Amino acid sequence: MMLQEAVNVGEMVLHHTADACSIDVYKWAWHIPGCHLNYPIDATLAPTKHVVFLFIAATLVFLTLWTAARSIAKTKTGHAPKGFAGAVEGLVLWVRNDIAIANIGHGGARFAPLIITLFFFILYGNLLGLLPHGSSPTGNLAVTAALAILVFLVIEIAGFIKLGPKGYLATIFPHFPGLHGPGAVAMAIFMSPIEVLGKLVKPFALAVRLFGNMTAGHFVILSLFGIVFLFGHLGVWSWGIGIGTALLVVGIMGLELIVALLQAYVFALLSSVFIGLMQHEH
Amino acid sequence: MTTMLLMLAASGEGGDASPFAVNFGLFFWTWLVFLALMFLLQKFAFPAILKATEDREQTIARQLDEAAKANAEAKALLEENRKLLAAARGQAQALVAEAKTAVEKERSTAIDKTRHEQEELLERARREIAAEREKALTDLRREAVDLSLAVAGKLIGQKLDGASDRSLVEGYLASLERVQ
Repeated sequence: MMLQEAVNVGEMVLHHTADACSIDVYKWAWHIPGCHLNYPIDATLAPTKHVVFLFIAATLVFLTLWTAARSIAKTKTGHAPKGFAGAVEGLVLWVRNDIAIANIGHGGARFAPLIITLFFFILYGNLLGLLPHGSSPTGNLAVTAALAILVFLVIEIAGFIKLGPKGYLATIFPHFPGLHGPGAVAMAIFMSPIEVLGKLVKPFALAVRLFGNMTAGHFVILSLFGIVFLFGHLGVWSWGIGIGTALLVVGIMGLELIVALLQAYVFALLSSVFIGLMQHEH
Repeated sequence: MTTMLLMLAASGEGGDASPFAVNFGLFFWTWLVFLALMFLLQKFAFPAILKATEDREQTIARQLDEAAKANAEAKALLEENRKLLAAARGQAQALVAEAKTAVEKERSTAIDKTRHEQEELLERARREIAAEREKALTDLRREAVDLSLAVAGKLIGQKLDGASDRSLVEGYLASLERVQ
């Protein structure tokens, strides 16, 4: 039996990027208890593969930061931690100072825990998908949408608290300088759908960007693996095809490592920018 | 190998598995996991990390402050030292100059005094010499008068000692002196 007849590459790619009910390691498959999935839309709370990987990502983030924190707490006051703790501290401070506080502006320190958690959680979620048998929960639209909705709620609620009811309403019904009377009212009403759309587009872009980048990366890697299925039967060329495919995939894997870090950075950065925009809306 | 690849390809639920499917149950799981993670990190990780860095920042800031203060102090001390040194030098120079002028003055007054004394001595000596000479002359003159009177008396055989005789001789002598 030839491989290209048995394997539908397109279907394989979709399978491996989609959520599933079993976690496959080598030749063993663990069916997640209670899991069932309906495509394309599901609304049950049954745990799936991505739920498991969400937990794995969260556990790894917690272990990373917790070990570093313990090690830092043991370091003498006024001295910088060394090794692993130093690296983690550097990352945490970078996210806190250069992403959160730098973009949110005055009062940004209050949002730093959210932004740091977002950054590390997304980074680990992205990286898990690059591990053999791993899966990216951030390659699932529901997960990225849930994170984006969380950010949206933070943006709007924190904005409401900061600006007050009147100031918050002004972000929906904008006031144009130099416009008075009925003209100003009309403009405010006409512009309000656009303002509301503007508010909704931001988290939508966050969700789709992360989902798209992760899924696309996996598509590319899996499609390149598809070369093996499609041309592996050409006896004379099989070795060359195998080596060429491997080289290509290694290259893309390197790129995906960068993308994993970059997308976590972008999500954290844009969340900070959006929170900052709302906090300093006048 | 082949079977493994086939298995990989065939795993999953089958049918219409797609990464574009949306499972709303995952919203709940994401929120649960994320918020729990944030809560745990807030409780166990962030305080230690941030406190340590804040402490370190404060320590460094304090050390920098102290260094700046010490530097300023050192500078001030140096400036003060320089000023003191300059003042001391000025004072020393003034003292030397003063001493020099005092010595100069002392010397000149001493010289003046010496010269003055010398002149006085000289003057006195001169005066004394002149007085002695005058006295000697007077004595000599009287002697000469006496002698000439005696000689003349012997010659004319009578004693010449009246005042008139005397004034005669004296007048003669005076004329001699005038001739001289």
